[in-house]
Amino acid sequence: MALAGSAGRLDFTRRTMIGQVTGLPWALILLLVLMGVIGLATLYSATYTNPEEVGLPAKQAVRLAAAFVILIAAGLVPLRWWLLLAWPAYAATLIMLIGVELFGFVRGGAQRWLQIGPIGVQPSEFMKVTATLALAAYYHKRLNDYSGGFLIHIPALLIIAVPAAYIFRQPDFGTTLALFASGGVLIFLAGLWWRVITTFLVAAIVSVPLIYSFVLQDYQRERVDTYVAQLTGESVNVMDDGYQIHNAKIAIGSGGLTGKGYMEGTQAQLDYIPEQHTDFILTVIAEENGFLATSGLLILWMIILGLGLMIAMRAKSLFGQFAAAGAAATVAFYILFNVAMVLGLVPVVGVPLPLLSYGGTVMLTTAACFGVICAVHLGKDEALAA
Amino acid sequence: MSLQRPIDSLFTRRAMIAAGVGGGLFAGLIGRLYQLQILEHERYDVLADENGVKLELAPPKRGQILDRFGRPLAAHRQAGRVSIIQEQAGNVAERLRDVARLIDLPQARQERILEKVRREARFRKVTVLDELTYEDFAKMSLRAPDLPGIVVEMGSTRSYPRGRDFAHVLGYVARASQTDLDRLSEGSTPDERAAIRRLFKHPDMRTGRSGVERFAEEWLRGQAGFRKLETNAAGRIIREFDAPELAPKPGQDLHLTVDAELQRKAIERFGDESGAAVVMDIESGDILAFVSTPAFDPNDFVNGISQADYDLLRFNDRSPLYHKAYDGTYPPGSTYKMVVATAALEAGVIDPEERIYCPGHYRFGRNTWHCWKRGGHGPVNMHEAIKQSCDVYFYEVSRRLGIERLAEVGKKFGFGQRWELGLTGGRSGVVPNDAWKREARGEPWFEGETLNIGIGQGQMSTSPLQLALMTARIAAEGRVITPKIIGNGPRPEADIPMDAALDPEHMQRMKAAMFGVTSEGGGTALRSGDLGLGGPRLAGKTGTAQVRRISAAERASGNIRGGDEIDRKLRDHALFVAYAPHDDPKYAISVIVEHGEGGSRTAAPIARDIMAEAMRLNSRARPVYTQVASTGGGITGGSLE
Repeated sequence: MALAGSAGRLDFTRRTMIGQVTGLPWALILLLVLMGVIGLATLYSATYTNPEEVGLPAKQAVRLAAAFVILIAAGLVPLRWWLLLAWPAYAATLIMLIGVELFGFVRGGAQRWLQIGPIGVQPSEFMKVTATLALAAYYHKRLNDYSGGFLIHIPALLIIAVPAAYIFRQPDFGTTLALFASGGVLIFLAGLWWRVITTFLVAAIVSVPLIYSFVLQDYQRERVDTYVAQLTGESVNVMDDGYQIHNAKIAIGSGGLTGKGYMEGTQAQLDYIPEQHTDFILTVIAEENGFLATSGLLILWMIILGLGLMIAMRAKSLFGQFAAAGAAATVAFYILFNVAMVLGLVPVVGVPLPLLSYGGTVMLTTAACFGVICAVHLGKDEALAA
Repeated sequence: MSLQRPIDSLFTRRAMIAAGVGGGLFAGLIGRLYQLQILEHERYDVLADENGVKLELAPPKRGQILDRFGRPLAAHRQAGRVSIIQEQAGNVAERLRDVARLIDLPQARQERILEKVRREARFRKVTVLDELTYEDFAKMSLRAPDLPGIVVEMGSTRSYPRGRDFAHVLGYVARASQTDLDRLSEGSTPDERAAIRRLFKHPDMRTGRSGVERFAEEWLRGQAGFRKLETNAAGRIIREFDAPELAPKPGQDLHLTVDAELQRKAIERFGDESGAAVVMDIESGDILAFVSTPAFDPNDFVNGISQADYDLLRFNDRSPLYHKAYDGTYPPGSTYKMVVATAALEAGVIDPEERIYCPGHYRFGRNTWHCWKRGGHGPVNMHEAIKQSCDVYFYEVSRRLGIERLAEVGKKFGFGQRWELGLTGGRSGVVPNDAWKREARGEPWFEGETLNIGIGQGQMSTSPLQLALMTARIAAEGRVITPKIIGNGPRPEADIPMDAALDPEHMQRMKAAMFGVTSEGGGTALRSGDLGLGGPRLAGKTGTAQVRRISAAERASGNIRGGDEIDRKLRDHALFVAYAPHDDPKYAISVIVEHGEGGSRTAAPIARDIMAEAMRLNSRARPVYTQVASTGGGITGGSLE
């Protein structure tokens, strides 16, 4: 793949190492660091009363530091290398996904984990990044000479649907949905006709009851049921997911405008919310810091994602545009799903909140996504050959 | 790069739309946040407070039962207990398997618990295992934090530190059955009924099933309260609020008049014999020992006794479940002769010095009655007749008296009525007369039957308690004595107030004769007169109760058997009544040895030894409850131990 038409006076300084580092989107990175620190502080508050969880913030801090190293390292990888790597990475992740089906082990009721050496990995999480890159690479090649046909989106859909099918079978409903959502965003950005979009939306609405009856497994169906029950105000069974949502709402609602104070949340401290340090970490923030801080946190995320999208729009290459937009969309759907779930708007699907929830996998995915965005920022003037 | 492809503008346009939609979604989330945190804040704030605070029903501590010297007879025992709360446990079966990995919990029991959990409300505690060993309790306490819904706590249960000694007096407590609940909530409003039901569901709660435990239920129970707890989601208690206004009010302690040490010695003295003994303080009527042996261990009943163990007790031919001293009625045999003699003196049908010739038998109508001594006693006056227990003398005297006058004096002594002590059970026995027989048998009294009553046999039946009371009244020279066993506690209402005083002069005669029995030549219990205390002697009277086929105890057990046991069954009961010291009576005693044959041979030595023990222990010494009461303070369970 040849480098085409990127000669300019600034290019020389950009290519030195120091030039590269200073060229990173530091505003974005600093906002991410701020988010990570907020996450650590919240995690400390959520775990300090439970003797079994005291070690978690330190562990998370190490992960956070490692994530930023990975982010910057990934950001410094030239964009053309990312383009080169997109297809092999996608293929490797797909093989791992199939491996999960063959050799994976079960954790938390679903088969999602693959043991590689000493660490357990979730290929489905990697797939969010590699599928985005593969889509970006695909559209980079196909749209360079824009022909605007409808059929070019069919292979794009397959790039998403094949791994999604495996992930759905694990079963991991949340990741499947996230994959389709961020992939869908890319297909939308690639100019899918509005009439197709409209048709699809109508079909989706029609298919909801069909999916419910014939596709979902019992435990998934129960989750949907509890969701509907609490939306319509029926008395929820105070167990399992209904219990979780119920207590999450109590914690959030009791936080009020300004919250009960850092480390003062009664619900969080009394373990009323299962998984409060992972998927339900937002309840701790909402209870202890109140509406102002929590909505501020969401606005902070909007700014971060907005910056990511701006980087995408400024990129010259289609790959850069799609990769950055896809990365931002991936992170955005994490946040949207998680917050909507914690606020009782969508069923509990088990999606963590990036940089805030305790856990390694989502941290790695987030770091990779923003690494790609940084790489796009550095390589925004490169017009990569198709 | 100046080339502007159509895709570039399209991408920008679409990206702006995507950003707009995304921003809209985020704004929606913030809106929802606003709804929960601002608009519905107050509602959730209340819920949050409720989430952590829980009122847990706290059962009252049941009052102790103590002896007259403050020794505990019924007390509390702390025992570890594992329970499960379905609401917090998630998968109950899985949680039980977790527990079974730590402590012994057989599959069958797990299934029983599962069944119980299914029937119980989701938020209620269901007992998994009671009475944990120390090791199991330690193990469970350590691991419980990892097992949601599993609660390990110290429960308080009833314990009877003296085991069998007071089984029949104390009775026992058990978990309230439906029958108990119906009885306990009799005459209550529906609300009270529900409260009682709730309270007795608590695993620590027991209710008295028999004995003092049942009689004094209200006194002992106390009032339920609440514990105000802050709990986390797993139901684990984070802290307990200090809420004295909610605390349960413990039940009151109750003192019995008995001396636990004397009771112990008396039971030991019986050895393998089965029988009953009652020791009474002549001055106060306090029952100092109330023995019925063999007995059951009330501790076995506290957590429910197995059917197999219960059957062992029920079908035991020595009737350990049966309170022989209170519920048992036996013909008094010759111990009744003082009553007959008193009746004769009161009616003036004989001069005490008049001698009646005993040839060894007595003819009346067409029948012949025998004296226990085949060769006869020769001419005997009243004193000698009692001392030697001459039957012929009493055939003649009772014939002269007639059954009505005999029965009247028998009632004066306290026979034929149930003495309310504050225990369950208690029988009146029978003092037969014409009216009684017409009622019970539908036929008139035959004069010949009077002769049997004259020597304490026939239809005559008395309880050991009544015999002790009779003896006490003779020793007290006719003074009215009311027996009691509850020293400090709810006061039992006497069924029939006893106000029939007896003539002291007649009683002195009886005393002299009873002294003769144990201390003069020809006395039937000469060998048992010496208490071995170097001075004071015993005065008493032997008796033998004819056993027709079935002993009273056997009849009561409802299990009448034959075969190889029949030999023992046919033997007579041995009786002995006595008071001591002979010159200044303080204690009265009655002893019955079931199938012990001769009163002088088996019952008298036992009575003598128990009496000696009572005097050695000074069992009638002032009880602690009167001492405490005199200082004006409340009664508490002081202990001498």
